[in-house]
Amino acid sequence: MKLREIAYSRSGDKGDVSNICVFAYEESHWETIRREVTAERVREVFGELVKGEITRYELPGTSGLNFVMTQALDGGVSRSLRTDPHGKSYQSLILDMEIPPTA
Amino acid sequence: MTRSISIGCGSAWSDDRLDWAQELADSGHVSYMGFDCLAERTMALAQIRRQNDEMRGQYERIPELMDRMVKFLSSGGKVIGNFGAANPSAALDDVLRGLQSNGMSGVRVGVVYGDDVLDHVVDQNLELPELEARASDLGEKLVSANAYIGADPIVELLAEECQFVLGGRIADPSLFVGPIAYEMGWATNDWDRMAAATLVGHLLECGTHGTGGNYVDPPYRVLDDIVHLGFPIAHVSNEESVITKLPGTGGAVNLGVVKTQLAYEIHDPTSYLTPDSTADFSNVWIEEVGPDRVRVGGATGRPRPEDLKVLVGIDEGWKVVTEVSFGGPGCVDRAQLGAEVVAKRLEPYKSAISEVRYDLHGMSALFGDQLPKGEPAEVRLRIAARCQERDIADVVSFESQYLWMGPAGAGGVITQTTPAIGVTPAFLPRDDVKAWTEVIDS
Repeated sequence: MKLREIAYSRSGDKGDVSNICVFAYEESHWETIRREVTAERVREVFGELVKGEITRYELPGTSGLNFVMTQALDGGVSRSLRTDPHGKSYQSLILDMEIPPTA
Repeated sequence: MTRSISIGCGSAWSDDRLDWAQELADSGHVSYMGFDCLAERTMALAQIRRQNDEMRGQYERIPELMDRMVKFLSSGGKVIGNFGAANPSAALDDVLRGLQSNGMSGVRVGVVYGDDVLDHVVDQNLELPELEARASDLGEKLVSANAYIGADPIVELLAEECQFVLGGRIADPSLFVGPIAYEMGWATNDWDRMAAATLVGHLLECGTHGTGGNYVDPPYRVLDDIVHLGFPIAHVSNEESVITKLPGTGGAVNLGVVKTQLAYEIHDPTSYLTPDSTADFSNVWIEEVGPDRVRVGGATGRPRPEDLKVLVGIDEGWKVVTEVSFGGPGCVDRAQLGAEVVAKRLEPYKSAISEVRYDLHGMSALFGDQLPKGEPAEVRLRIAARCQERDIADVVSFESQYLWMGPAGAGGVITQTTPAIGVTPAFLPRDDVKAWTEVIDS
């Protein structure tokens, strides 16, 4: 199943750094998300789009993850020639991640 | 008397909806309105406007803002914003003119100066870590440098009974931290309090994003009405911080919306760095306490960073973007052929083009090859280039538009050429950035 079925996301930017959060709709899915949505899996999903590091942080108070990806926006909003230099659409790509079905 | 403050957000960027801001200001629900009118790129563009005309470089919509805030100000409301952008003194003139044209006098205006640190960046030949370069490497291309200013000068101006406070690159959350600290009597070196205020400021600073904009994703994320969104409101007391929005408006202030705003652009949740504190949001809790009403808490603070972030603007010449559509059977092949044709026609100018890319909307423009694709009904070829010289940008535009003449069925050509401004961060010791203030009675 797709991550989108149990989680939601939003992405933002600072310079060439993209910041993407992932939160569980249901508290019962938090551990699944925590286990499955690793920095390594996120790198697979983004592939060549991200040239730098991907770091995962946790927000245990709100059952969320925050991914910080460097060199992720082709130079950042002002310099990049990409269609979406903010990476606003990245929130939709991360939710396309395939994860094992949950109950 | 129990201290408390009700503060609304009226803007999250330079072109936000001042009509809805007025709606909130005039509603009687808030005594303060904070306006964030800047983004990374906005600031550098404002610097260029100022270089071309020393009376410009401020937030460009102050006349409309003043017309819309005059009633709020008349009723004693206070307005705070980074309307100065690259030129706070020009913004002050606009504010005074706007008050006068609305027949208002007796409004005390406070101005925060000192965020322009270009001289420091050049003198100290500051390191630019993301570019792995130093300021001197940029030479004349270095066009601006602005430090993010915190809440202290805002608190100072409110204590001097200013009703309208403006500055240059005041950090987004600090526009709210200032009035909260002032009204609550919170010391700006009480790090837990500053983190609590920063949490509230952070939940307000994105305006209608914090009330459901950017949230809706059917069928999973659905809200009843996103046509007429409401700007967010915070009610802060020593007991609690509540986030809500103007009653009767669309959008939502619920767990989902507020969580995404909480994590938005904070990077490491244990160390959200602002000029006012190092805030730990990792254990922040959010609870729904009514319709469109959440309580938030759990932010803790450590001392504010010793260094202030500086955003450096770089002149990168011109950016030219041209788009053209192809549809029906074979559209992807024709669009790809079109890209090859333009690339060949641009060969003679190759050395004068810093970078060029060809993307197919509907196929790979957003995510490259990361998602599987089929044959779409239509595609849009986008050709984007950056060039130091305007005349080369014009050549790229011309050659891209010449796709009108084939491959077959090229339609809907649009082209746009704009200044290309790069921004990159740097860091200056706090003591090197001297903010100063001015108070003027209208």
